[in-house]
Parts: sequence; C-alpha cells; structure tokens
Amino acid sequence: MRRFGERRAVDRVDVDLAAGECLAVLGPNGAGKSTLLRMVATLLRPDAGEITVCGARLPDEAGDARRAIGYLGHDPLVYLDLTARQNLELYADLYGLDDPRDRVDAALDRVGLLARSFDTARTFSRGMAQRLGLARALLHEPVLLLLDEPYAGLDAAGARLLDGVLADLGPERAAMMVTHEVERGIRLAGRVLVLRAGRPVLSEPTSEADGAAFRARYEELVA
Amino acid sequence: MSSTTDARPARRLAVTGVVTGALLALSVYGVFFVAPEDADQGIIQKIFYFHVAIAMVALLAFLVAAIEGIRYLRDRDPRHDEVSCICVGIGLAFSVLVVITGSIWAKASWGTWWVWTDPRLVTFVIVLLLYAAYFVLRSSADGERQARYSAIYSVAAFASVPLSFYSVRVARSFVHPVVFNQDGANMPDSMLAWFVVGQIAMIGVFLTILQLELIQRRADRALRRVKARLEAAA
Amino acid sequence: MTPSWPRQLRALLLKDLRLELRTRDTVVAMLLFSVVAMMIFQFAVGSRGDDLTDVAGGILWATLALTAVLGVGRSWVPEREQRVLDGILVAPIPRLVLLASKVGAIYAYLLVVEVIAVPLTALFFIRNGQAADLLLVGVVCLVANLGIAVLGSLLACLALFARARELLLPVLFLPSMLPVVIAAAGAVHSVAGGTNDLAEYRGYLLFLGVYAVIFGLVAYATYDHVFDD
Repeated sequence: MRRFGERRAVDRVDVDLAAGECLAVLGPNGAGKSTLLRMVATLLRPDAGEITVCGARLPDEAGDARRAIGYLGHDPLVYLDLTARQNLELYADLYGLDDPRDRVDAALDRVGLLARSFDTARTFSRGMAQRLGLARALLHEPVLLLLDEPYAGLDAAGARLLDGVLADLGPERAAMMVTHEVERGIRLAGRVLVLRAGRPVLSEPTSEADGAAFRARYEELVA
Repeated sequence: MSSTTDARPARRLAVTGVVTGALLALSVYGVFFVAPEDADQGIIQKIFYFHVAIAMVALLAFLVAAIEGIRYLRDRDPRHDEVSCICVGIGLAFSVLVVITGSIWAKASWGTWWVWTDPRLVTFVIVLLLYAAYFVLRSSADGERQARYSAIYSVAAFASVPLSFYSVRVARSFVHPVVFNQDGANMPDSMLAWFVVGQIAMIGVFLTILQLELIQRRADRALRRVKARLEAAA
Repeated sequence: MTPSWPRQLRALLLKDLRLELRTRDTVVAMLLFSVVAMMIFQFAVGSRGDDLTDVAGGILWATLALTAVLGVGRSWVPEREQRVLDGILVAPIPRLVLLASKVGAIYAYLLVVEVIAVPLTALFFIRNGQAADLLLVGVVCLVANLGIAVLGSLLACLALFARARELLLPVLFLPSMLPVVIAAAGAVHSVAGGTNDLAEYRGYLLFLGVYAVIFGLVAYATYDHVFDD
C-alpha cells in the first residue's frame, strides 16, 4: 500500500511473480501502475505491506534486490552528454561486471548501436536513445525486468528487439510490464493484472483471454 | 474514534500547565524580590537568570527535535515528525527571546544594544537563521518528503549549533587570550536555588506549549475527518 | 557480478568530472563569480585606498562561501536535468558511495576556483605578502573544502526537488557555512600579511577538521534516507 498525502495510490495489491513469467499491468491513467512498478524497483517505499524481490526483502535488503533488477521507463535514463559507450561502461562499473568492454560491445551490438557507440547520446533520436536505455537495462543480465511503458519511445527496430527479449525470457527470468496498450500486453505476457484507482480488479493468465472478448471486459472494468 | 474523546492528553496538559504556572510565579518572585540586587547593573541583571534558562530550553527543544527527526527516519511514524516540527518552532521562538534579552543585557553591561563578541549571543543569531531555514525547507516539500527532509535537516542544523558556538569562541580566544567569564557576576549560592527553579519553570513552559500544540493539531485533524465524512455522506 | 564500491566511486566521480569537462558550465561560472565578488568587496570597502590586508582572509572566504553555493547547486544537475536519477538509484550503489562521488566533485570544483582566487586575493588585498604564506592558505582550503563539500552535497539533495531550488539552497547552506567562514577566514588572517601566528593557525585548522568530521557523521547517519522515497 502506498499513500500520497491522503490518497492511496496503490492499495491491497497481491502479486506473485514466478520465474519464467511475464506479467502485464494494465489500467487507465492514474491507476497506480507506475507507482506499483516503482515500489518493486526499490524507487519507492511502501507505506504498508511487504515486497520481496528475488529473495531480498525490501527495504532492508534493497541492495541485493537492485543487483537483480533491470528497469526501463519512459526515459532511457542515460547521460545525454556522454557517448553511448561511456554510458554503458559507467553502468558496467556500477554493476561490477567482469570484462566490461566485451559486455558493452555485445549490448551495443544487440540494440544496433555499435556504429554510433562513440557519439554522445544527445545526438540520438528518441528511438535510438530508448534503445540505448534498453541496452542499459539489460546490460547486467537482470533476473527481473521492470518496464514502464517501454514501447512509448521505441522505434520499430527497438520494439522488435524488446518483443524478442520478452518472448525469450527463459525459465530463469521474469518480467513485469506496465502498459496501457491492452493488445500488446496480452500478446506478450503470460499473466495480466488490471488496476483501477489503485486497486486490483482483475488478475488472470492470458492464455484464457481471447483478444476481443478481453478487450470488451477490460473496457467495462475500467469505465 | 477514541482519539477524539481521549481525555488523557488534556489532563496531562492541565497538570503540566498548573505546575509550570506555579513554578514560574515562584521563580519570578524569587528573582525579583528575594535575590540581592547586583551593585553595578541593578534590576537589568535579573533578566540574566531568565536569559540563561530560556537559552538552555531552546537548545533542549532543538535537541529533542533532532532526536525525533532520527526516530522518524527509523520508523517513518508521522508523529515523530510532528513533535520535531513543534519543537523547532518552540526553540525558534525561545531563541528570539534569547537574542532580545541578550541585547538588553548587552546594553546594560556594555552600553550598546549589540555586540559581536559574545559567543552565546552570536550563536543564537546563527541558530535563528538555521531554524528559520527549517521552515523554508518544510514549505518547499509536501507529504512524506517534507517529513523526511525536515528530519534530516533537523539533525544537520543541530550539529551546526555547537560548531557555531565554538567557532566564535575560538576566534575570540585568539583576540582576547584571557577568557573572561561573560556570564557576569558569579552567582551567589543563595541565588542558585532560584536559578534552578527558574530553569525548571522554563522547561515546564516548553512542555506545556508542546502538549498544547499537539492537542490542538489532533483536534484539527479530527475536525477535518468529521468534515470529510459529512461531505462524503451528503 | 560483484559491485565493488571503489570501482563504483571511481566510475561516478569520473563521470561527473568528464561531464563537467565537456560542458565546463559550472567551473567557469564559479570562477567568474568569485572574481566579480572580490571586485564587489574591493569597491564596497576599499575605495578609499585603505590597506585591506587584515580583512583579506575574510574577503577570500566570503567570496568562496558564496561561490560554493553555485557549485553545490550544480552538483546534481546531470542527474536532474538529464533525468538519469532513477537509473542511478536502481543500481546497487550504496547511497554513501553516491554521496562520496558528489563530495569529490564539489571538492574538485572548489579547488579549481581556489587555485585562481587565492593568488588573486594576495594580489588584490595583501600588502607585503610572502609566497610561503600562500601555501599555508592552500592547506586551509584543502581542509575547509571537505566540510563544505560534505555539507553541500547533503543539503543539495534536500533542495533537489523543490520548486524554488536556487533560493532554497542558499537559505539552507549558508547559515551552516558560517562556522567555516569564521574559522577559515581566521586561519588566513593568522598567516597573511606579515603576522605569522602558527598556534592560532593550527587552532583554526583543527576546528575545520572537526567540522568536516562532524558533518561526515551527520551525512553517514542520514544519507540512506535522502533518496528513500
């Protein structure tokens, strides 16, 4: 539960995310989706309740949790006045990665920015910057991916990339994605959680959800 | 809601208030009618007794504020923030009194309304600035952040108090190697008792105001809750 | 993967210095400001041609205190303006390491300013100065900067999200800086302009060291909570 002043932004949300799962968090604006994600990402402290990430209890063991989390939001979270390479090398140092050079090269290559690796991020288009942000989020090979409207700034190439990453999570990783694009959410995720005014109104696996029917139910729930 | 009808705080306040009032009256009587008048400065010197007592309580208030700040950071209970804030307010008000009484004292002792050479006086001016900034900080943030930032600053500001005092003291000690006692006349033993009474009375004033404020705020909150409920029902 | 704090500290510090070198906004502004401030003092109190040697230390540290406000205010700019703060906070960096990197950055900025401001003070305000004295003044700077940087980086965070950030920071920072001004100015005065009272100098230096330690402790106790929304 998380309060902002008198308002409860997130209330009574119970989520269990297992390895190999991808959860889509849907809901209208102001439903508390981002707040929930930020709490899991250790950026916000809950006023009540517990969060455990990969065995680390927040907020006491936040340091351990942070090693396992990769976070990507609307902003790519990169320094505009550093080059792409310098940005990733910084994060490699912050995460304590062995052979940072190779990892950075590999990450840049994966998002298709290897050719621009010596250009400052300021010269990038929005899509490229967001791709760099994706590289940053994936650099340390996080166990838990936390994404907040990640497709908002991604260009077509980046979107394809992220689709690939999410489809290919493997049995050891998990992802939690906040999005307002219902179709994309149920296509990519194995489970769906719908929030409204901070409260959960629906939580079920997507295999049971048929696109159009789900859409109709969703509209009804959030109206 | 039991807190709206909880009579214990009000009763505690009554007790504190009465005791404080009695002690205050006693100490005023003692200082002005029983204590011997100082040969040089006459009646003005009597202010000195209250000046020191008020200064001590101001520092006490700031210490409590810092401690409550730390407690807030530990468990994020807004009550600690509330107490911390009130204590800073009381401390600030008392500090103003310290500066005013100090100025009067300076006029009586040295003939001018202000001196930069008294470490205590200068420290309290710095204290005024430090804790006025506390309220500026509070007004710049809301909600949880306001409480958290205030708590952090209350600790930092309190650390500044002894540092300010000693910086002025050290500076003065190099200019006037003989550290003369600027407390004025040494206190005769007969006066010590009255001084202690006065000191306790001042602490009582602090506690009384603190309790008064807490009760007032609680009542405010209860009133707002009732209003909100009425509006929701309407 | 093993994050080690020396590596993180080095990376963060280099990042800040690198960014500053690229844009040079902060340091240039601080330098210009400090020179202008000294001119203001000169014209405000020295127009009659009086010998200002006695107050040179005061002028220097009044200038540095005000200049420090600029530097401190700018210390979090890369994270704030470029919205990178979340990325840094999500990484497994102990908050104290984050603080230390900002302390290092502010310290560096102050040092750059002092390299120019101290000789300038000697040039403008001290008659019959000696070069050796400048070294002693330099040591004062080295010690005082530490306390200033620790205090500043802590308070800068408190002002980080405020609307009137540029106004709030001086209000928070300067009152707590007063002991530093008193002690540092006193230390410079004790060695500048002919009089060399080393006992006095040491006393002030000791005070500045204690100041840094005490605020270091305050920061250590509270820094984890600054970003703990």
